[in-house]
Amino acid sequence: MMIIMHPGAPKEQIKNVITEIEKQKLSAHLIEGVEQTIIGAVGDGHYVAKEIFEALPGVMSVQRISQPYKLASRQFHEHDSVFPLDGFTVGGEEIAVIAGPCSVESRVQLLEVAQAVREAGANALRGGVFKPRTSPYVFQGLGEEGLEYLAEARELTGMPVVVEVMAVSQVELMSKYVDVFQIGARNMQNYNLLRAVGETRTPILLKRGLSATIEELLMASEYILSGGNTQVMLCERGIRTFETATRNTTDINAIPVLKELTHLPVILDPSHSTGHSAYVTAVAKAAVAAGADGIIVEVHQDPAHALSDGKQSLTPESFASMVKQVQAVAEAVGRRLAPVKYGQV
Amino acid sequence: MMIIMKANATPQEVEAVIAKIKSAGLNVHLSQGVEATIIGAIGETHNIPTDLFEGMDGVETVQRITQPYKLASRQFHPEDSVISLDGFSVGGNEIAIIAGPCSVESRSQIIETAMAVKEAGASALRGGVFKPRTSPYSFQGLGEEGLELLTEAREKTGLPIVVEIMSQVQLDVMVKYVDVLQVGARNMQNFNLLRAIGESRTAVLLKRGLSATIEELLMSAEYILAGGNQRVMLCERGIRTFETATRNTTDINAVPVLKNLTHLPVILDPSHATGHADYVAAIARAAIAAGADGLIVEVHPDPAKAVSDGKQSLKPEKFAQMVKQVGQIAQIMGRRLASSQGEYSPLKQGWA
Repeated sequence: MMIIMHPGAPKEQIKNVITEIEKQKLSAHLIEGVEQTIIGAVGDGHYVAKEIFEALPGVMSVQRISQPYKLASRQFHEHDSVFPLDGFTVGGEEIAVIAGPCSVESRVQLLEVAQAVREAGANALRGGVFKPRTSPYVFQGLGEEGLEYLAEARELTGMPVVVEVMAVSQVELMSKYVDVFQIGARNMQNYNLLRAVGETRTPILLKRGLSATIEELLMASEYILSGGNTQVMLCERGIRTFETATRNTTDINAIPVLKELTHLPVILDPSHSTGHSAYVTAVAKAAVAAGADGIIVEVHQDPAHALSDGKQSLTPESFASMVKQVQAVAEAVGRRLAPVKYGQV
Repeated sequence: MMIIMKANATPQEVEAVIAKIKSAGLNVHLSQGVEATIIGAIGETHNIPTDLFEGMDGVETVQRITQPYKLASRQFHPEDSVISLDGFSVGGNEIAIIAGPCSVESRSQIIETAMAVKEAGASALRGGVFKPRTSPYSFQGLGEEGLELLTEAREKTGLPIVVEIMSQVQLDVMVKYVDVLQVGARNMQNFNLLRAIGESRTAVLLKRGLSATIEELLMSAEYILAGGNQRVMLCERGIRTFETATRNTTDINAVPVLKNLTHLPVILDPSHATGHADYVAAIARAAIAAGADGLIVEVHPDPAKAVSDGKQSLKPEKFAQMVKQVGQIAQIMGRRLASSQGEYSPLKQGWA
């Protein structure tokens, strides 16, 4: 950490900062310039808040040099984290394809779409039962009933299920049913929820917040990792910008940036990041070409009548065509799609 | 165009809007709802500004239904525009790779880089001689001397040259030397410059402004097309967002969106879109996978000593590696690199 003093800051203020640095078990390194003094705080300072120094008299600004996260960083854990998910692995050579409807709407709808996506090459099934909808007046999800349908779909197809958890109070119930907890974009900084899922040993798919920086996403993952849950996947799902042609702007840069900064697997959600089914395939291919470890895609058998996200949902046929194209890209970058699992059918 | 009237608009105000629509040569479609009246203006509306109605009494909002651009739109020109450029074409089956230094710095630097990028598989050479630098105190480019050096590089390598034009006053001298005029992000809405270039018949690479929407980019293209210059390529080069980990945010969505809305070729600039040499190859691959027609990439023989953009410039060896990877992606997209002479041998190791 570099603490930059105001020009002409008196010696006592500088001494005061040095005392504080030493109190934090860091060592001070003084650089006296012509106009200003800079004090380096050297040591493992990821747990030291920069606010401690910002408030001291005579301090102009504090700059962090090392990353504020540790468990998520590649420095701490050099090799890619690879973890198994019922029949396949995420973060290694295999590319995961998670697909399914935005919301579980009915038993028939879910079982039908689950079989269709499995047929087309999906490795895991997504489906929301607690929905964080912008409007409180629209469909909010089926709740536990939906979890029962997901369990049935899981048995039928063999695919693990990825389901969004919205509140701490849902964690206990959901861990009985789901293979992966999804933390949605709107909950990326719901720290109580992050701590609660960090206490479980269920894998997590952590989505980037709508206006969250890459560093903030990594800090959110640090909350989960520090609870002892090491199976965290990060998900780029588009960020809020001035562009209105698409629902969000896919920050494709986030993929190589995350792969450099962290060992955690990186997934891309082209459905939310574009908001239009016509653009999903192109962005899914781009994701894998850029080095993503998987994709999560919304698929509905009748998008026009979907209860949510119909505009960005692929039909099973267009999803099947997308999978073929993504597979070709995966091979071109020396990887392959994760194997398809079979259940009762 | 839909003109939505205020809930309390009087019949006289509605009548006035109807009269104005008719005087603009459009047809009227009136729909009276329970709370509000909506008046549709039907016909050729791309050349009618929405402000014509926005200022009228009783009008709540005006919404455009059709696109405000015409010549750039796919409706007007359903087939992809294919622009031929000295030995290859852009917008068809071939993927163009434009590469070279940010700035032309010296004779040896530009000749050396030109040979290296040609060797690695570039199909055109870039190099700035008039530089729009953020600081007026930084290197501003070699000017006409740089154009002479680029011409020499062009003769030696056969690569057509892509050079940024910053001002109308440079047009006469530039068209004598360059194959493609680049309009930089900061000049995307320099409408006088766009009009002047529209009068020329030199191909244009139009970069998206730092905070320009896709529609604004297409409107800028329309300025050039309206002057009769059909040879326009669009370039996504990253937009300004809250993210600070990279210089800009690559709007990869822009690639399929533009391919859907317009017939013009779409190029991506992974150097500016990321600002870090480490991320260029990944974004270059992503661009081609998303359907881009080409790339423009900064390459410098010694990035650490470059007078501009060193951080985002690739060394020739790294560029050669990027070209190979992009070639693999092009192949699975059913396309090929403009510079390619034959088949690629599959490269499966050491990616990511």
